[in-house]
Amino acid sequence: MSHPSEDDLILHYYREGGVSPAIEAHLASCAACSTAFATLRADLSSVTEEPIPVRGEEHGEKVWRDLQPRLRVRPAPRRMPAVRWWAPAALAASLLAAFLVGRRFPAGGPSPAPIPEQARDRIFLVMVGDHLERSEMVLLEVANAEGNEPVDVRSAQASAENLVAANRLFRLSARRAGEPGMASVLDELERVLLEVAHGPSTQGPEAREQLRRRLESGDILFKVRVLESTVRSKEKQMASVPGTAS
Amino acid sequence: MKRMAGSDDDTETVAQARAGDADAFRRLVERHSRSVFRLAYRMTRNEHDAEDVVQEAFLKAYRNLGRFEERAHFGSWIYRIAANCAYDSLRARERRQESADPKAADDASNGPATELPSGAPAADRLVFGGEVRRRVELAMLRMSALEKSAFSLRHFEGMSIEEIGRALDLDASAAKQSVFRAVRKVREALGRDPGLRPTP
Repeated sequence: MSHPSEDDLILHYYREGGVSPAIEAHLASCAACSTAFATLRADLSSVTEEPIPVRGEEHGEKVWRDLQPRLRVRPAPRRMPAVRWWAPAALAASLLAAFLVGRRFPAGGPSPAPIPEQARDRIFLVMVGDHLERSEMVLLEVANAEGNEPVDVRSAQASAENLVAANRLFRLSARRAGEPGMASVLDELERVLLEVAHGPSTQGPEAREQLRRRLESGDILFKVRVLESTVRSKEKQMASVPGTAS
Repeated sequence: MKRMAGSDDDTETVAQARAGDADAFRRLVERHSRSVFRLAYRMTRNEHDAEDVVQEAFLKAYRNLGRFEERAHFGSWIYRIAANCAYDSLRARERRQESADPKAADDASNGPATELPSGAPAADRLVFGGEVRRRVELAMLRMSALEKSAFSLRHFEGMSIEEIGRALDLDASAAKQSVFRAVRKVREALGRDPGLRPTP
């Protein structure tokens, strides 16, 4: 055989694809290549492992402690019945209707059992928090699918479609309630959800990488997480106020 | 590829975790966290980043438990996820460096070895005094996130090119080329002149 290239020797050094008898034979008969391989071996052997900080038995426990709060909601199984994803949108619509009616006609009227405004606001925050969490999960499900094979994302698309419907209501409501920051994040989220909902039903690694880049470029997931954390802490504060606990 | 401990015991625990048993997932975390940390540290070479990678990897695994094939080893699966998270972490670091000082980042990945004199002595004469280690460190600094990831996985973890491709979402050819470029950077840092070889 002709002299192996440096790349061939690198693969040979790592035994990539097993030992190559042709290269072995060539190295045995060619002094120059044999020297070149010995030099390569010496170079790569000099790359030794850095000392790794030791983690004791308790490491797993600590990791779990930090991880646990982030696992509050178990991810949905892939083939989730569509009704489960319709429910939030429908519930959001009815609650938002109540929320908006309450905001627009705050007093008077023969309302039989008016929901106190603070309790209504608190329900709204719970709904928004859950909505943000679900949206994040759907986007991550599509963007982080493993492997190089195209993935069928129809189930995630159906979820995204329903989340778009709920998102519109939340966005509208946030704007009317004088929450431009929340409305702006929901607006950005809606655009990405729309892209997923109306994109191709099977996505290859390139499409998933594109979505990941899109999510990274606008820090969308970060903003969604921050907003979720804000609404959840606001909701907790309200829960501690008498008369708002549900 | 280095195998993770406890893979035989994992089958039942994974099944329980998939059924929604959080305690079963806790057992998987406790069983594998240290191996995942070691992989993350080898790739990121930063303790804080490595801990973040451990968190992200288990979070991602939890969210994707439904996709885990029962016949596969959980240890290998979480290892692949962690490698991907570590690669993401390296890319994020690379972007931060680029936006902080685009010129320095460019020099670091492509520029000449400003700290290394040309005609530097050969590796076998540099073994003493930790010079080799310093030069290897410099080479690692000059590698892109992809090169560093692919090289760490090949050189330290013993993953095949195909496994590296799967872990980093690359085709085998891109994974292979990344390893080649990384090795060249190591050799340049050690003062090797790849031109001093017979023509293939």
